[in-house]
Amino acid sequence: MASSHPPTSNSNIPDYEYLDVNTKPFHIGSFRNEWLNRLKPSDYSYQRDDDDTFDANFMKEMGVGAETMAELKSICSPDSLRCHPEGQQPDTELVPPEPMLQTLIQRKKRQDHRANQKMSKNRHDLYADELERLIVGRKPESTADIIPEGEIVLTINVYYPITSERINTSRPHMSLLMTGSHSLAELRDAICCVSDLQVCGEFSNTPDLAPDFISKDLFKSSFFFFEGVFYNDMRFPECQDISKTTIEWAKARNYPAFTQAKMEDTRFMDLTIKVGFPYLYCHQGDCEHLVIITDIRLAHKSDCLDKKLYPLLIRKDRLLTQKCTVCHLFIGRWFTTNDQYAPSDPCLFCDKCFRALHYDAAGNKLGEFLAYPYVDQGAFN
Amino acid sequence: MPRFQSVYCDFFYTPLTEDVEQLLARFQQTDSVRYEVFSAVWREMGFSDVFHGVTRVGELKRFCRVTLATALKYFLPPYSYQIRVGGLYLMFAFYHTQLAAPPVKIRVPLRDWAQVQKFLKDSVDSGHMDVLYIYQKLVSIKAIHYTAMPHFLSFQKQRKPKKEPVCADFIGRTTAIQELTSSDMLEELTNIQNQYEKLKQATAEVSSQVNMTHRDLSTRLQKCMSEFLTWQQKTYSGNQKNKKSGDDDEEEEEEEEETPAEASSSRARLLSSIKQKSYKNVQEASKSRRHRQAEAVESSSSGPEHVQEAAQQKKRPVSLRARTTKNLPMTDENITQIWHLSAPDEQAMIRKRSFN
Ligand SMILES: [Zn+2]
Ligand SMILES: [Zn+2]
Repeated sequence: MASSHPPTSNSNIPDYEYLDVNTKPFHIGSFRNEWLNRLKPSDYSYQRDDDDTFDANFMKEMGVGAETMAELKSICSPDSLRCHPEGQQPDTELVPPEPMLQTLIQRKKRQDHRANQKMSKNRHDLYADELERLIVGRKPESTADIIPEGEIVLTINVYYPITSERINTSRPHMSLLMTGSHSLAELRDAICCVSDLQVCGEFSNTPDLAPDFISKDLFKSSFFFFEGVFYNDMRFPECQDISKTTIEWAKARNYPAFTQAKMEDTRFMDLTIKVGFPYLYCHQGDCEHLVIITDIRLAHKSDCLDKKLYPLLIRKDRLLTQKCTVCHLFIGRWFTTNDQYAPSDPCLFCDKCFRALHYDAAGNKLGEFLAYPYVDQGAFN
Repeated sequence: MPRFQSVYCDFFYTPLTEDVEQLLARFQQTDSVRYEVFSAVWREMGFSDVFHGVTRVGELKRFCRVTLATALKYFLPPYSYQIRVGGLYLMFAFYHTQLAAPPVKIRVPLRDWAQVQKFLKDSVDSGHMDVLYIYQKLVSIKAIHYTAMPHFLSFQKQRKPKKEPVCADFIGRTTAIQELTSSDMLEELTNIQNQYEKLKQATAEVSSQVNMTHRDLSTRLQKCMSEFLTWQQKTYSGNQKNKKSGDDDEEEEEEEEETPAEASSSRARLLSSIKQKSYKNVQEASKSRRHRQAEAVESSSSGPEHVQEAAQQKKRPVSLRARTTKNLPMTDENITQIWHLSAPDEQAMIRKRSFN
C-alpha cells in the first residue's frame, strides 16, 4: 500500500516509517488540525442526524427526488444483508454447520480441536467488556466536563518493567485512553507499577507500621523520553532532574544533543512523536517501562465523554498472583528470611498466616526471623 | 492453564481475505456497481454468518476489526472503481452485521482522505447514487473513526511480513487496452496524423527539418496493443474458461460459440459501449434517475488507479507471469482464478467449489 502514497511534503500527515510497524514523527496538534480542516463539523460531531434530516440533506445535496430517495432507502437498507429468513436467525454463538466460507471452515476446525482441550475462560476479555459497557458514550453531569468535539484521543500501552524476568514484554501491562489536552504528568500518575508501592525495610518487630510509607512518596522523580527529549516530573520540591546525568553523559560523548522539558507543562497536543514506536518511562531511579502510543484519532460520540474519567484504563493485564505458602489461598503480603518456622528461605506468607505463625496473641514476636513487606505484581487486579 | 492465543491478532486474516476476494470476484463478474447486486452476492454467500461462532468478547472485537480493515483495503487504490465500490459496500455490510457491541468503527486514516474524496467525486460525476448514499449513511451513523493510521501499531511485526500481492484482476487494467482497440481512438489518431502530415508538407521550410512524429504511429501503436492482447489472452485464458464452466448465467450463454479471444474482446466492446452510454446518461438523464441507468463497471474517471497502472505496467506483467506459471500451472485439472495469487496452491481446489 505504501506505494500508493507518493511522498508527501506535509509532515503532519502520518505515514509509515516502517511498514505496519511504526510511523514517522509528526506533531499531534497539527495532525488534529489537518483533520479538522478537511472535515465538516457534522462529521465528528457527537450529534447524530435523525433519518429525516439525513434524507432531506441527501436529496438536496444530490438533487434527487422523493421517489428516488424512497427507492434508495429500501434498496440500501441493512435488511438487505440478512442471510436467514426473519425469525429464523441461527445461534450466533455457534459456527454454522457445513460452512462454505473459508473463515468459518477454519473456525470450525479450531473449535473441534479446542473441544478436546480445556481452556480457561479469559478473564481479561470479560473485564475489558464490562469496562467498555460502563463507559460507552458516557456523558458527564456537568457540560463543562465534556470532551470537546474534535478533541484528540490517544491509546497508550504501558509495558511491564524491563528488568522483570517473569514478564513477557510483548504483553502490555495496561492500555489507557488519554486526550490531547492531558499532560504527561497525568499519564505518569495513571501508571501503576509495583515498584511505586514497594516498601523498604525490615519490619519483623513492628509489622503494624510497615505499609505506612511507600516508595512513590519517597522517590518522586521520574521522566518520559520521547524523540530526544526528557520530560521530567518537577511538580514537587523533592523532585530532581534525573535526566541530567544522561544528558551530560551523552554530551561528553558527542551524541546528538538531548533536551529536557517539564512533564507537567507538556500536553500530548504539543508532542511530536511516532505512533507505534517504543518510548521510555523511568521512575524509582531504575524502573524502566516501554510506552507505546498505539493509536491517535479524533474523539467519537461513543467514547467516554466525561473528562473526569480520564486517563481511562481500557485494558489491564492480570498476572497470576503469588499465593501464601501456608494456606495457598491468599495473596502473599510478607516474605521472611532466616525463618525457623518457614518451609523455605525466603518464604511468602499472607498477612493472616504470617501473624498467626510468628506472633503470640499479644503481638509479641516469637523466635528469630527477618520480615519484609511484599507487594505482589498482581496486586492491582 | 494454556494462555489463550488470539487467532485474529494480525491486521488481516488470510481465510477472510480469500472469502472477501471470492465475493468481490463475483461482484466483478456482474459488471455492475449497484448495491442491490452486491447485496444479492452477499446473501448468496451467506456472508453475515462470518461473525458467528466467536464466543470470546475480545476475540470477536479483534475479528470485527480485521473485517473492517480488509474492506477498507479494497475501498482504497490501487483497485479499480468497481472493486472500490465493492470495498465500500463491504464496509457497510460488515459494520451492520458485526456482532460486537458497541460496534467496532471503520478506521479511515488521514493520508487516504484525498483518495476517498476523489472516489466520491467520481461517483457524483457518474451519478452512482447508491454508492453515495451508502457512504453518506456511514458518515451519518458515525461509523467512522478519523485516525492517524489504518491499524493500531505496537511495534510488532506482522506474522506474515511478506507483502501480499495485489489481486491482478481487481486492478482497473485488464480491459483498458481492449477498450482502446474497440473504440474509435485509432481511427481518430490516424486522421489527425494524416492531417498533420498534410500541413507539414504544405509548409516547405518545416517539412524538411521537423520529424518529431512517426509516420506510422498508429500502426505501431496497433501492433503494440495486439501484442499485449495476445500476451494477456494467453495468461488469462484459464480464467475465462473457468468463469464459463463455473457460471451458468444466461447472459453468458450467447458467447458460448465464440473462442475465448472473441468472447473477451466482445466483452470489451460491450463494456466500452456501456461506458459511453453512461457518459451520455450523465448528461442527458434527469438527475433523479441517474442511479438506475448508469450500469457501467468503470468509473468515468481515468482516476489515480489508471495513472498508477501506467507506472507499474513495466514490471508488473513480468512478475505476474512468472508467479502464475510457477504457482498455478494451468492444466485441465487445476484451473484457478488468476487473481488468487495471494493464496497458496493447496487452496485451489477448495476455492473452485461453487457456492450456489
Ligand atoms: Zn516501574
Ligand atoms: Zn496464608
